[in-house]
Amino acid sequence: MSYAAIGKKLGAGEMVILDGAIGTEILRRNVTWADHQLASRPEFVRGIHEDYIRAGADVISTNSFQLCRRALYNHFRDEAHRRQIGAADLDERADKLLAASVRLAIEARERAAGGRPVAVAAAITTLEWCFRPDLAPLPEQAKREYREIFQVVKDAGADLVLLETLNSISEARAALEVAKSLGLPCWTSFVCDERGRLFTGETMAEMVAALEPIGVDAILLNCAPPGDINAGLKELLAQAHVATGAYPHIGRFDPPEWMFTDEYPPARYLQVAASWKQMGARILGGCCGTTPDHIAALGDLRQ
Amino acid sequence: MHQPLETRLNSREPVLLDGAMGTELVRRGVRWRKHGLLTDADRVQQLHEEYLAAGAEVIRTNTFQLNPRIYLNVFRNRQHMRHIGAPGLEDLTPKLLRTSVRAARQARANAGKEQQAAIAGVLAPLEHCFRPDLAPEFEAARSEQLELARVFAEEKVDLLLGESLNTIAEARAVAEVARAVGLPVWISFVIGPEGELLSREPLAQAIREVEKLGAQAVLVNCAPPAEIGRALAKVKSATRLPYGGFAHIGRFSPPSWKFEFFPQFSETESWPPERYAAEAQRWQDEGATILGGCCGTTPAHIAALHAALGARREGAKSA
Repeated sequence: MSYAAIGKKLGAGEMVILDGAIGTEILRRNVTWADHQLASRPEFVRGIHEDYIRAGADVISTNSFQLCRRALYNHFRDEAHRRQIGAADLDERADKLLAASVRLAIEARERAAGGRPVAVAAAITTLEWCFRPDLAPLPEQAKREYREIFQVVKDAGADLVLLETLNSISEARAALEVAKSLGLPCWTSFVCDERGRLFTGETMAEMVAALEPIGVDAILLNCAPPGDINAGLKELLAQAHVATGAYPHIGRFDPPEWMFTDEYPPARYLQVAASWKQMGARILGGCCGTTPDHIAALGDLRQ
Repeated sequence: MHQPLETRLNSREPVLLDGAMGTELVRRGVRWRKHGLLTDADRVQQLHEEYLAAGAEVIRTNTFQLNPRIYLNVFRNRQHMRHIGAPGLEDLTPKLLRTSVRAARQARANAGKEQQAAIAGVLAPLEHCFRPDLAPEFEAARSEQLELARVFAEEKVDLLLGESLNTIAEARAVAEVARAVGLPVWISFVIGPEGELLSREPLAQAIREVEKLGAQAVLVNCAPPAEIGRALAKVKSATRLPYGGFAHIGRFSPPSWKFEFFPQFSETESWPPERYAAEAQRWQDEGATILGGCCGTTPAHIAALHAALGARREGAKSA
């Protein structure tokens, strides 16, 4: 299995349906997400991937949001402190769970796709918190860490990297360069504000100009409410030459969990997505708060 | 302060603290959201009751690292929090603090221990307890800790416990706000690999600073038992105040996605209750009088400690 079938669809201007949320879907099914549940309840995670495949997703994304060595290490003062009080497996834990997240998605495809081409996207976000561009590491450091992460997901069999909820051009560029140097197809997806700008204040035009020359395969927007995504998508569509897409969140961030609301039931969600297809977006799916029912509703977009 | 507690403290009789709240709630399957105070307040109260039944004379509110920053930090800014955050996040902290005190008070009433047991309102570092590099400066810490302390004062806790404090500046801020709201305060420092504050500031200096500001006891906590024992020797030579410690057991196992301090410790079975009690008795032998348990400890650990201290008291009487 590879990215080829998806790339071909995009090349022909056809719709590609992305899956919906996985983290918040775990919460909605009454399970904590503090440890991603990759080691403790793998069948449960795989089951959600299967539900998204059966709902019609062409691309499913791994349950690996914020899962990296840095996120674990950030809980300690430094290495000496980690060695003093930290769990023994912390050096290897992120890589192991990351590989497991890819394997579970691949298994779900084997069980549920029925021969339909479904690509597995390794979902990787910023190295620091997704809404805090002020915390982002410098590009050289970011590259070292992304290289380690991408090598793990490549070896585990991911078809592409979905860099999601990005908040700055500089970190996106660093990550994209690494993905390309490893030969991985790479979609970059950004969070945007009500003005349709990145969280750094950078514009879509600046971002597109920075990433297209490096060979980005698609540019998307995610993890903002539909209204903000709409504002960003207008700007993005006016600039981008590559395929574009969007997957908004619905409901409210209620840290450390999610508040589900009935503001966007699947039928209304489809209306919003249909308007974006009309505008020119070709990759549509769901971020936090969306469910397999929302993705199933997007099937109408193929007509 | 609570009168019986003050008497015991100043006559240097042993004072037994409770054990861990966060790690024990998580171990029992409570989902760690809003400290369990919205969804599982009954289980929070139940755990307080178990610590009281085990013999704890001071129970600590389930408010470790509960402050407005933990919510604000996961948004781009305050405006973003209002835009995509759940309604009420800005006013959530005082509500949760009040709920935590009420759970402790109800537990104490149910245990029939209004006279014997005191409730300590827990103030902790505003940023991650293990990240002294992120700690606020004194002025910011003071104004933010003051907001929390006021709620504890309104809810009439018996004392404040500044816990796992990792810089001198924030410890001073906690000691000052306690004085401002008229509550007695004990200050407890988190100990780093060097045997000083986690910030590497000298423990002896930190003790002098909070002593000047009126702290009534000093403690060390959230390090493994051996390190707590070594730190207590330093505390002993640095102060004439009553002092003590509460160690964590096992290893800190943070969540695989990031959201503030998450109370999860693994490998705690290497410290069964009797082993922990025996270790804490050695601290008592050296002069520490305030003893309890930090992350990983359970009501069984406090019961074992209570039994060990009780055997001492009986032995002392008959001797």
